[in-house]
Amino acid sequence: MRRMTLATVFGLVLLATGCGGPAKEDQGASGNGGKEQFVVGMSQCNLGEPWRQQMNKDVEEAAKAYPELRVIFKDAQNKSEVQQQHVKEFMQQGVDAIIISPKETEPLTAPVAEAYKSGIPVIVLDRAVNGEDFTMFIGADNVKIGRAAGQYLVKLLGGKGNVVELKGLMTSEPGKDRHNGFIEGIKGSQIKVVFDPDCGWQETRAMAEMNSALARFDKIDAVYGHNDPSAHGAYTAAKQKGREKEMKFIGIDALPHEGINYVKQGILDATFLYPTGGKEAVDWVIRILRDKETPPKKVVLPTRIFTKENVDAGGEEIP
Amino acid sequence: MNPQLEPDEQNRSRVRAVLDLLDGARGVIAFLFVFMLGVAFSPVSLKTGHSIFLQPTTQLDILYEYAEYGLLACGMTLVILTAGIDLAVGSLLGFAATFFSLLTVGYGWEALPATGVTVGAGALAGLISGTLVTKLRMQPFVATLAMMVAARGLAKVISGGIKIQPGAQPWYVYQAGQPPVFDWLTSPLPGLGLQPITLAFLLTVLVLYFVVRYTTYGRTLYAVGGNEQAARLSGINVSLTKVLAYVICGITAAMAGVSNAARLGLGDPSEAGFTYELDAIAAVVIGGTSLMGGRGGMVFTFIGVLIIAYINKILSINNVQEAYRLLAKGGIIVAAVMIQQSRTRR
Repeated sequence: MRRMTLATVFGLVLLATGCGGPAKEDQGASGNGGKEQFVVGMSQCNLGEPWRQQMNKDVEEAAKAYPELRVIFKDAQNKSEVQQQHVKEFMQQGVDAIIISPKETEPLTAPVAEAYKSGIPVIVLDRAVNGEDFTMFIGADNVKIGRAAGQYLVKLLGGKGNVVELKGLMTSEPGKDRHNGFIEGIKGSQIKVVFDPDCGWQETRAMAEMNSALARFDKIDAVYGHNDPSAHGAYTAAKQKGREKEMKFIGIDALPHEGINYVKQGILDATFLYPTGGKEAVDWVIRILRDKETPPKKVVLPTRIFTKENVDAGGEEIP
Repeated sequence: MNPQLEPDEQNRSRVRAVLDLLDGARGVIAFLFVFMLGVAFSPVSLKTGHSIFLQPTTQLDILYEYAEYGLLACGMTLVILTAGIDLAVGSLLGFAATFFSLLTVGYGWEALPATGVTVGAGALAGLISGTLVTKLRMQPFVATLAMMVAARGLAKVISGGIKIQPGAQPWYVYQAGQPPVFDWLTSPLPGLGLQPITLAFLLTVLVLYFVVRYTTYGRTLYAVGGNEQAARLSGINVSLTKVLAYVICGITAAMAGVSNAARLGLGDPSEAGFTYELDAIAAVVIGGTSLMGGRGGMVFTFIGVLIIAYINKILSINNVQEAYRLLAKGGIIVAAVMIQQSRTRR
């Protein structure tokens, strides 16, 4: 009986620490002939999210172009403490550079600063850390993307109409920014946001909220989803009510197997790229380590719009 | 009327009969309380001036949107009656949704074999959980926690970590459109007005109501949950009773997964069913079934599901801001449970 209890506790601890075993480590993404000169540590905060999987994929793809580069991937599984460990482990391993996409700003500011001060170049992706103790930050601007979405909708609807806005988590920065940018974008037009629930980025929530919007409004001209799954969920809900042809659907993120796929199928009218910066980070690692360049402190990535007309040509950049 | 009772006693027994009736109706009263909130706060259509909440389509939406939670709660009720718990149902829903999408969208299977295999997989998962609980004497909490983690992992493995939907991989049979079964499950049946998903939930409630209430197996569920030792001594096969409860729970979770895939038009290995087990357990407990086992039943669960589903819809249709929505939801749940559990003095 006693052994039973111990086994039980052990099992619980294993489960609680995430499937048991140490943090997942995936070595040697780019297979090369052993003439590598540079080893880069890449710490991802949560590989459970499709967008972050895409970021790692972008890093992996970009690294293939440089045979002298080897990338070590680590996944923090959405835990800041684990990500703090990642930075320490990379320092102990003696990597030549670190790419980190932090889960949270505060807990990772100190470890990043420590690595930077010890002489390792640190590139921070997507979410910033505080202060100046990092090599460079690469990220996109959600306000700009939201504004582009708003301006596009003004054009698409001829300046007026009823819009349903399916918001992302409004306690998160991307949610707030994509909302504020959009409101700026439609300012001055006669477009009215008639329904704007918080869907927490979740497609099932978006579907249920869209059903409520459909029940309340006899005419909806467009749906703006803060991410592509929300817009897709709204389309599905409208289709199940036979009303999908009445309105336009636009979303954000433009992942290849989600948003871009939806545009190709005519489900979404447009999606706006939220770039991962994975490729840019790898390019900058090479320019810093091999070419000894001094990088700018901050790089803001441009967005792209994908519509039925330009999706096969790879979309169109919005300056 | 018993002539031997004193007039006073007669009155008392009459009062008792009324109280018993109220006891049974209490869940219904709690539900009516929530329903009246919906009527009172409903926005009205700008065109016709009718209440949006009372529109038949809105009422049908409520059942349709909550059918997946409802299916999970049905199976969960059986497990909880045996004094067990099944934490794996949310993950099993996610696995089933992913697996069903893989079979239909990916490999182009027909509806029936795909549904059969998916539901079979759910039953197998329940069989494993049940065996861990009975043969290996693991705590239900631990055994199903392990199943919860493993099922989520398996969903991510078979999908390659991405949502399974038309066009997501170049080798999928469906590159556009969707399998006809997805459309069938989500379109109202002619003459009935209900979607097959909603119907599946209602029929499951009905079937399990009869199983729990009127079969020998139903009575053994209560016996095992009420006093396991006594049940064993009186010759009941306790292990079989429990294993069967987990198997049925796995089956309803798989049915919910198939519904989820059809409703969304895709199989999402990470998000589908995530934390749904909490909502399912909440619906069962709010309905009035005891977590200690041996007390409760399907009618309670059905009412519990309705209460939560209606609260969600009322808050959604009024476009209440998220923070206030959470506050209101907590408040209404407490009020509904207080109405429903208030014990009349005897």
